[in-house]
Amino acid sequence: MDKFIAIIFSVSFGYAVLRVTTPLIFAAMGALISDKAGVINIGLEGIMLISALTGVVVSAYTQSAFLGLLMAVIAGSLTGMAMAYFALNLKTDIILSGIAINLFGGGGTIFALYLVAHDKGISSSLKSLVLPKIDIPIIDQIPVLSEIISGQNILTYIALLSVVFVYILVYKTPLGLQIRAVGENEDAADSVGVSVRKIKYIALILSGAFAGFGGAYMSMAYVSWFSKNMTVGRGFIALAAEAMGGSTPFGTLVACFVFGSAEALSNSLQSLRVPTEFVQMIPYVVTVLGLVLYSSRKTSQIRKKIGSRR
Amino acid sequence: MKRTLSLLLVLMMVLSFGLTGCGGSTDTVDEPSGEEATEPLKIALLLNGTLGDKSFFDSADNGLKMIQEKYGDEVVTKTIEMTYDETKWRPTLEDISDEDWDIIIVGTWQMQEMLQEIAPLYPEKRYIIFDTSVDYENYDLGNVYSINYKQNEGSFLAGVLAAKVTISDMELANPDKRIGFLGGMDIPVINDFLVGYIEGAQYVDEEIKVEISYIGNFDDSAKGKELALAQYGMGADIGFNVAGQAGLGQLDAAKEVNRYAIGVDSDQALIFAESDPEKANLIVTSMLKRVDNSLVRAIDMHFEGTLPYGSAENLGMAEEAVGLADNEYFNTLISEDIRNELKDIEAKIMSGEITVSSAIGMSTEELNEIKDSVK
Repeated sequence: MDKFIAIIFSVSFGYAVLRVTTPLIFAAMGALISDKAGVINIGLEGIMLISALTGVVVSAYTQSAFLGLLMAVIAGSLTGMAMAYFALNLKTDIILSGIAINLFGGGGTIFALYLVAHDKGISSSLKSLVLPKIDIPIIDQIPVLSEIISGQNILTYIALLSVVFVYILVYKTPLGLQIRAVGENEDAADSVGVSVRKIKYIALILSGAFAGFGGAYMSMAYVSWFSKNMTVGRGFIALAAEAMGGSTPFGTLVACFVFGSAEALSNSLQSLRVPTEFVQMIPYVVTVLGLVLYSSRKTSQIRKKIGSRR
Repeated sequence: MKRTLSLLLVLMMVLSFGLTGCGGSTDTVDEPSGEEATEPLKIALLLNGTLGDKSFFDSADNGLKMIQEKYGDEVVTKTIEMTYDETKWRPTLEDISDEDWDIIIVGTWQMQEMLQEIAPLYPEKRYIIFDTSVDYENYDLGNVYSINYKQNEGSFLAGVLAAKVTISDMELANPDKRIGFLGGMDIPVINDFLVGYIEGAQYVDEEIKVEISYIGNFDDSAKGKELALAQYGMGADIGFNVAGQAGLGQLDAAKEVNRYAIGVDSDQALIFAESDPEKANLIVTSMLKRVDNSLVRAIDMHFEGTLPYGSAENLGMAEEAVGLADNEYFNTLISEDIRNELKDIEAKIMSGEITVSSAIGMSTEELNEIKDSVK
């Protein structure tokens, strides 16, 4: 038990939590912004894979990590735009488009990897770059905090800032108002002259861009290569986090941290010889508990509404 | 229209076969016109995954290439990637069994049950399964040859090496007598590596502690890195990854905190030798599982007529099926004393002077006891 507490309150655990949570935050922000516009983007997983590969390939050929990141984000946006085209212009079902993107991301990235690196598993033959870690000026003077918060990858800070960005965008700008209006009731939004299609396009492109950051983090910060199916379900966990966070930016951030901590905990606990089956269960148990809490809160809210109407 | 087209295509195929056959025979007039020259041996390798795993699927494919090179016209070889989609495996195995292949090679425990059911239906075919053994007692499998690897023996050497490194005064070693083991899943094959590793480490020093983690799959290299970082954080200065692609995360972790690592299955230092020499310099060696050698050996024996179909063989160091990678990193990073000692131990294992326990068939209690002995 002492060891258990020692692990949880160690600085390296706090550092690990931030590192594990970063890709979830990006993907969850992507889920949130499209959800606000009334389109559920379940293609996050595929978009992350496409961006992860793009980042690696571009950084390897240009020898510039930032160009790699930029192209990864652009690739994510373009994939989001393609989804919007399928769903809005060609009138396909948005869920099916998302599944298609996921399947394409899973298989297409391996195909592209084989063309570029002549390998179907990992991009290790390419000299790809990683994004730098940065120290935060004032915080790196504070004893414990500096070891947890400072010295993280630059994308971790961007992830945290992106939550603020999404909050301002959705709640404080005219565009955010339009996005929310379209999400709440698109006919009403249409009747007052909002171009529903344009707003949904913007939401999906932004969603793709966030997932693009998440993908770049996976291959250019978390590890230093692209490998097949490397996101392993993180896009879906992000969707769960967004639902659990009640579709609000800060709620979602908290939910991401809950998932991230559960994951980091399950990683650290293994060394205590807690049975592996139990440890590997933790993140999923937390997911189920979180969803139960969320839905029970939601149903009680609905009951109250119905009650007040009476 | 479609029928005429398909008829035409069939005609073309038959003609082309006939013509190439003629071309072949004109070139080989000198060869004796006995039975050997008539039909090449057709060998199909079915992978229940894709190439590029930097592990035993790539190695099996390499084995097939070596066979093709060695026997030339006498064999026809083909590698079929069935992908990781499990629903494709059974139909593919049935289809290939229906075709005119002579020897069909499959691998891993995931194919075992399917093969047990399908092989008896095709008694005239020959099957080879590697990295697991079929159940000969309850099924009629006189046409199946199984290859098991003594990964516990190879891992014993890895354990000896890791222990030697952690108690040494090597540049990146710390005083803590602690080493790491990163497994893919908590399954018998992986635990066989673990048991050999632990016994090897204890052979050098009883006080060695081993940090043991399982990733839970063979894909998630990011999680592999997390777990490895946790192990290095607990004071391990060298780790052994046995987790396919997911295990590569350990190598990234090693570079991040500047500690040593031991690779598995294929020579993992060579994967990064060009793209990331700094990382390659931390991979002291890799515990190789030479599926390729074992397949070449099997086909050699098939031609000699000595391959024991209907039984399983355990291949170890004597058959060059397992062993440590002897590369430039190993030779520069590891001192000559340790290298010589490893050679002595290798000889002792081969002669039977050292026997290494196996986790295959071991009860959970026994396994836990071994794990707890290094807690």
